Amino acid sequence: MLENITTALAILFEPMRLLALFAGMLAGMVFGMLPGLGGVAAVSILLPFIYLMDSYSGLAMLLGAISVIYTADTITSVLLGAPGSPASAPTAIEGHALAKQGKASLALGVGFLASMIGGLFGALILSVAIPIAGPLVLALGTPELFMFALVGLCFAASMVGKDIVVGLAAACFGILLGVVGAAPAAANYRFIFGQSYLMDGLSLPIVALGLFAVAELIGMVAAGGGIAGKPMTMGKWGESFREFWRSRWLIVRSSIIGIFGGFVPAVGASASTWIAYGHAMSSTKDKRRFGKGEIRGVAGAEGANNATVISDLVPTMLFSVPGGPAAAIFLGALFSFGFYPGPRMVSETPDLMYMIVWSVALASVMGAALCFAVTPYLARLTRINFALIAAPLLLIMVAGAYQGTQTFGDILALLVLGVIGWLMKNAGWPRAPVLVGFVLATPMEQYFWLTTQIHGFTWLTRPGVLIIASLIVVPMLLGLVRKWRARQTTAPADSTDPESHTTSDDEAPRDTAVLLLASSLLLVTFAYAFYEMLGFRSNARLMPALGIVPGLALSVYILGRQLHRLRRQGRIIHLGSRQELPVLAGILAYGVAMWLVGFSLATPLLLAWLLLRCARMRLASAALYGAIVYATAQGMFALMRLTPPSGIWFSLPMPW
Amino acid sequence: MFTQAHPLKTLSAAMLVAGGAIAAAPAMADDFYEGKTIEIVVPFGEGGATYVAAKFLEPFLEKHLPGNPRVDVQTRPGGGSILGANWFEQNAEPDGETILFTTSSTSNPYVLGMDAVEYDLAAMRPAYSLPFGAVIYVSPRTGIDSPAGLKEPDMPLIYGGIAAAASDLPTLLAFELLDLDIQTVLGFDGRGPARLSFERGETNIDFQFTPAYMSQVVDMVEAGTAVPIMTGGSVGEDGILSARDTAFPDYPSVYEVYEELYGEAPSGVEWDAFQSIGAVTFNYGLTAYLPEGTPDEILEIFEATIAAINEDPEYQQQSQDAVGGYSLLPASEVTESLSEALQPSDEVREHLRTLLSEEYDVDL
Repeated sequence: MLENITTALAILFEPMRLLALFAGMLAGMVFGMLPGLGGVAAVSILLPFIYLMDSYSGLAMLLGAISVIYTADTITSVLLGAPGSPASAPTAIEGHALAKQGKASLALGVGFLASMIGGLFGALILSVAIPIAGPLVLALGTPELFMFALVGLCFAASMVGKDIVVGLAAACFGILLGVVGAAPAAANYRFIFGQSYLMDGLSLPIVALGLFAVAELIGMVAAGGGIAGKPMTMGKWGESFREFWRSRWLIVRSSIIGIFGGFVPAVGASASTWIAYGHAMSSTKDKRRFGKGEIRGVAGAEGANNATVISDLVPTMLFSVPGGPAAAIFLGALFSFGFYPGPRMVSETPDLMYMIVWSVALASVMGAALCFAVTPYLARLTRINFALIAAPLLLIMVAGAYQGTQTFGDILALLVLGVIGWLMKNAGWPRAPVLVGFVLATPMEQYFWLTTQIHGFTWLTRPGVLIIASLIVVPMLLGLVRKWRARQTTAPADSTDPESHTTSDDEAPRDTAVLLLASSLLLVTFAYAFYEMLGFRSNARLMPALGIVPGLALSVYILGRQLHRLRRQGRIIHLGSRQELPVLAGILAYGVAMWLVGFSLATPLLLAWLLLRCARMRLASAALYGAIVYATAQGMFALMRLTPPSGIWFSLPMPW
Repeated sequence: MFTQAHPLKTLSAAMLVAGGAIAAAPAMADDFYEGKTIEIVVPFGEGGATYVAAKFLEPFLEKHLPGNPRVDVQTRPGGGSILGANWFEQNAEPDGETILFTTSSTSNPYVLGMDAVEYDLAAMRPAYSLPFGAVIYVSPRTGIDSPAGLKEPDMPLIYGGIAAAASDLPTLLAFELLDLDIQTVLGFDGRGPARLSFERGETNIDFQFTPAYMSQVVDMVEAGTAVPIMTGGSVGEDGILSARDTAFPDYPSVYEVYEELYGEAPSGVEWDAFQSIGAVTFNYGLTAYLPEGTPDEILEIFEATIAAINEDPEYQQQSQDAVGGYSLLPASEVTESLSEALQPSDEVREHLRTLLSEEYDVDL
């Protein structure tokens, strides 16, 4: 075995292969950083290139990208508050709050280091556990997979924000979004309104982009100025190393949680990150800062998500059952190079196995180092007028969405979800539970029906199910005990809380009109969904009902509470929200223009508006900058081998 | 009795190829694709079985098509392959430069007449097919060691699948045809997860397509944890899905199993339904379609190219691992039989629709 480990290192240290690994890493970094273009985009763009190389180089290239995605997307999560994937949502919540307080370097530094540890742990597990992981993966039957998804959802819904009613309603809304499309158990199509676009359901990158990135973008363009209120002080990495060292055991434990998550196909990634986040919360004495910028939340989540993406490779290589979409593409690449994943591949080509381990380990360390190196430059971006960054960012988001199915449906879905995200943000409602509900609705439904069909109700007594269920029940009991004890020794310490004067944006009063609109829309949506749901077959109805019925009740309560407050407190006008309306309208107009005259003609209009009106650039510099951004956007479409959306009235013919 | 089918088929193909080569003006064919790019549209995501097969064939097409064009595999996923096929119907020109490479996931909704389908698959011109066989196997715990045992298992049979209207359809139709008592559990998100469930002992009868069977199930058979029973079969010279799968000559086809169980050849609407869906799923598993109205010259070019690829020793060697060692089927062997399978009689279509909506609760 030792011999194989060194041979594998020698295989990887061919200059061409190292170069391929490095190129993959760079692609992974760039795509990880760009909002909405996560691992799948990076790996699918690299895929055509790997066929030009030998098998080891090609695989090293993909692994380089896969290993750094979750390190690099820390940057977007922290600076923009838009998570690259549901598994980074906790980082976006805590890290972005820290960035707004001017502590971006702390959040980023701890995030990178935690990601690196997660990656190294993942590599370690790959090297030692693969020969013995088979029985473990097989021990996780469909009931255990169902329970894992349920635990993840419970953690996400209960841990975000103080207003648990709104958090639960958001999770219910996420479930509603998640059940759009074909029902797994009954071959019913749900909420597709006759559109074949919706038959496969909404795609994850579009939901994540719409809910988070579009709304953040609108807010920042409207506010003018940079991302951080005050100039960020970068370069103080010392504090992040100290904080990392303080949280080292938490990161190690989170990595272990993440590794187990990787063994659970389909539900592992997002569930395990939230479980790690929950663990970070329960192992921290002072919980008040959670949600407002708690570095331990970042440490836990980042340690877990990188470990998961790498231990995902265990079921991929042992059973050719990929854990996530990036692993699915990696699996396809293995097939293409004539490696047929299975126990035989593991035992017969140990060199390949250890080459994979080395690639992952090397990329994890180099990726973290590279992130440290580029961050000071990126952080400078946070101080320049955001409207300047918004232009390329919005085009990247459009390209990212459009690679879903390459139909206008992608753009429409992005904009509709963007409006929803904007409403939720301005109503002060948490969006992370929507994302988690969306991701976990499908596997939960799937595994629930499989479980009951295969096992009847005896599955409830399986030891695995009971162990996983204890993950929900034990912290809940501990929390109750703690609360009870706290009540015994009540100390009115809260009023002297030094942090309490920082009334952050999250607690500012919300615009009544936005709140009323959001609550009414939520109620109407759930009411309509309830009506349509009655027509589903029973097998297709259970999971939507789990989201819609409580969602309907909660939204009635939320609207009622809102009306009550309106009567008691009178109308509140929140200027921030109103100022954002023109930007929201501008982006919607861009969507309409794209529909009518196509991307190539609508985009110059958008650029003119953003650069001249919003950023107030001078004509000459705006023209130059706009031309560069436009050329880059077209180049991006060409690189992804996509034809930009064409209009229904007119389409600018392109020279290529 | 089935061993003869193959050489005969090759012979007749060779004659057709020769005929085609004579008919086509050689000067035109020689450099037809020079400097051109062929876009192969795969209506599924990257990394899936169809994508992998398309990428596997890419260099062979580049090498053997006259004028050595660049072949570019493009993915257009969505709507369970319907979006990509709809796009192809609306955008592809009949100039031989755009090809739709797809599976029964595209043809089943067409055969069933689903609303979302905007493409006319039977009007398109198949250029070549790659068979995509499948083996049905059981767990030894069931006590089944031969097809006859399927009728009296030691324990209730339970099968895990994805969705009745998807790639599970031919298997379910085979169970129906053979009148087997099997509990069907649908809702897995792929054949891989369904196989994991078999390995865990949650289900005890399963099927896998050839590539996955070779890499995963062969080991299980050697270890004694899986018992192969039958294959979907392949289309014989009589145009019926009765012959043995060329990749698994030792295992009987569904047709033979029926004969063994019931002492007569299968017939009737149940057989016709299985034959129609099974042929498209297995024998013409991966088919390259050219748009409606593509001229004969282009099809003749493909006819000759496919024959050349099948002769290429490199293809013969690599296809063993990559796609189960199947030879490509040229248009002359595909067109007629595929067209019949894509346009079953109203009676068969009605049978399929009724079966799906009543037994499997599919909303058509």
